[in-house]
Amino acid sequence: MKWVFRGKCWKFGDNLAIDGEIMPLRFALAREMSPEVLKHHVMEEIDPEFAKKVNPGDIVVAGKRFGQGNPHIQGLLGLKGLGLGLVVESIPRGSYRNAINAALPFLPHCPNVTQLAESGDDLEVDFQTGLFINHTQNIRRQFEPLPKPLLNIIEEGGFFAVTKKRLQQSG
Amino acid sequence: MDVGATMAEKILARACGKEKVTPGEIIYPFPDLITVHDWYITHAIKTLEELGVERIWDPSRVIVSTDHEVIATSVQAAERQKAARKIAEKYNISRFFDVGFGGLGHVFPVEKGFVEPGMFVLAYDTHVTNFGAVGALGIPVITEIAAVLALGTVWIQVPKTIRINLKGRLKPGVSIRDFSQWILGRISEDVFDYAIVEYGGEAFRHLGIDARHTLCNIPIEMGAKSALVEPDDFAKQYLKTRPNPVRLDWLVMPDPDAEYAEVYEFDLSEVEPQVAAPPRPDHVFPVSRCAGTKIDHAFIGSCASGLLEDLREAARILKNRTLHPGVRLFVTPATQEIMRSAEEEGIIKIFVEAGAVITPPGCGPCAGGKIGGLAAGEVSINTGTRNDPGRLGAYDAQIYLASPATVAASAIRGKITDPREFFNEGEAADEMGL
Repeated sequence: MKWVFRGKCWKFGDNLAIDGEIMPLRFALAREMSPEVLKHHVMEEIDPEFAKKVNPGDIVVAGKRFGQGNPHIQGLLGLKGLGLGLVVESIPRGSYRNAINAALPFLPHCPNVTQLAESGDDLEVDFQTGLFINHTQNIRRQFEPLPKPLLNIIEEGGFFAVTKKRLQQSG
Repeated sequence: MDVGATMAEKILARACGKEKVTPGEIIYPFPDLITVHDWYITHAIKTLEELGVERIWDPSRVIVSTDHEVIATSVQAAERQKAARKIAEKYNISRFFDVGFGGLGHVFPVEKGFVEPGMFVLAYDTHVTNFGAVGALGIPVITEIAAVLALGTVWIQVPKTIRINLKGRLKPGVSIRDFSQWILGRISEDVFDYAIVEYGGEAFRHLGIDARHTLCNIPIEMGAKSALVEPDDFAKQYLKTRPNPVRLDWLVMPDPDAEYAEVYEFDLSEVEPQVAAPPRPDHVFPVSRCAGTKIDHAFIGSCASGLLEDLREAARILKNRTLHPGVRLFVTPATQEIMRSAEEEGIIKIFVEAGAVITPPGCGPCAGGKIGGLAAGEVSINTGTRNDPGRLGAYDAQIYLASPATVAASAIRGKITDPREFFNEGEAADEMGL
């Protein structure tokens, strides 16, 4: 698994809603779980071209309470499908768990990170160590990475993969 | 240096077979009890089938209750109930409390004696935290309940604990619901975020189990992970009288040197009636700020405030009075047992004579407004758990949350009303030892 991402910054503000802003609600209601389907609709209601503009390895930087609202996993599966990384100031627990379940590399607690990057900046983030580098603005910050057992779940592919594996182990 | 443990840390340590756990640590605890509601069990089982699992880890630990949609009001709803019944049978879930047999699944398990102090409970629904009323730790895991049903566990990050000590007594006309809403405005969201709220203090000599349900229910709206009350002699006495014998083997108390993220002391006598205005449950103000707002709809019930004490509190105000013309009031006793007691005490009669509609026990209108909901532009004051737009039906309806006393007083006047007004009316004042 690739933990170090180098790519373009896509910056968003505070309180981005999991339903509507990050992913149209209809996919949650339909219980769509395929990252390949969902990736085409990420941020669609804010920026219809978003999914076409980003490249794998790019990094979404957002403010406080990213993914607030009813804890639906679809938006996070969509980000995973696009191959993006996520760096946020804070994230409510439901979306935190869902990001782990979706196997999305992210840094959950990066105070004031929205002041350290602008959309289009050249970023480098090591999700295993928490090192954040903005090459455009020449900024380096050390944030706290996810705990090791949660990095392992992401490495193994998220909720379904890990649950299947544990089921095999338990016979 | 080694520090002591909070109640939640002790419960989580036992549940994962460790001596001690530390906030921030990732653990895989095994629950003593698992609760799931209504048709959600069909989604969970669908996930199990996708995973190729044909058996539940331990069906004897599972309680399924029909509470969010008790009265099937469409063919689809009837089909959902049928599917849940089939699953209960197929997967040997013997504690399946179908329509008419339990009521609200966050309340009747405590009432029946299925919840023991010190128990660790994992649940689908967020308000399982009510089990903290008797010193159990209930943690919601939402969709991941499927993994719990399959494997018996799921990862939990050990939360920090905040301690709230209560002293004093509530003033007449002020309810435990008012206090519970009031603290949402006193403690910041960052402190509540992913915290266990541990309650204790001398005030509990005067706070029954019903009040403790409310105290453990409300902080969840601000992002707390769970809440629980130190089990005192009052709780132990209550547990002795449950229909199902309750063991006290797992009962835990916090260590004197337990480490808390924050410690608060609150005096219940300082609180006045509070109203949570739209659009969030923590948008809380003294009732005077909203008084006079005209209402169309009122509701008394929910896992936060549908207990017998709540119904008594509202009935004291509604006795010998009638609702304001144009106001409809729905009353939902949380459980079958509460309905029975309310009937026996003459409370149901008071509501009916006032012009209220009694719904079957369960979540009532609070479960998404499937019954007794709101039309566009209408205003409701109720004791539900949340007031997000659309919670009770129409998206642009306004929802205010308040105590049973405030809801009753407002339904009589047709506008948001401070219930203390009714205490100056002589005959009512004596009766109201709230």
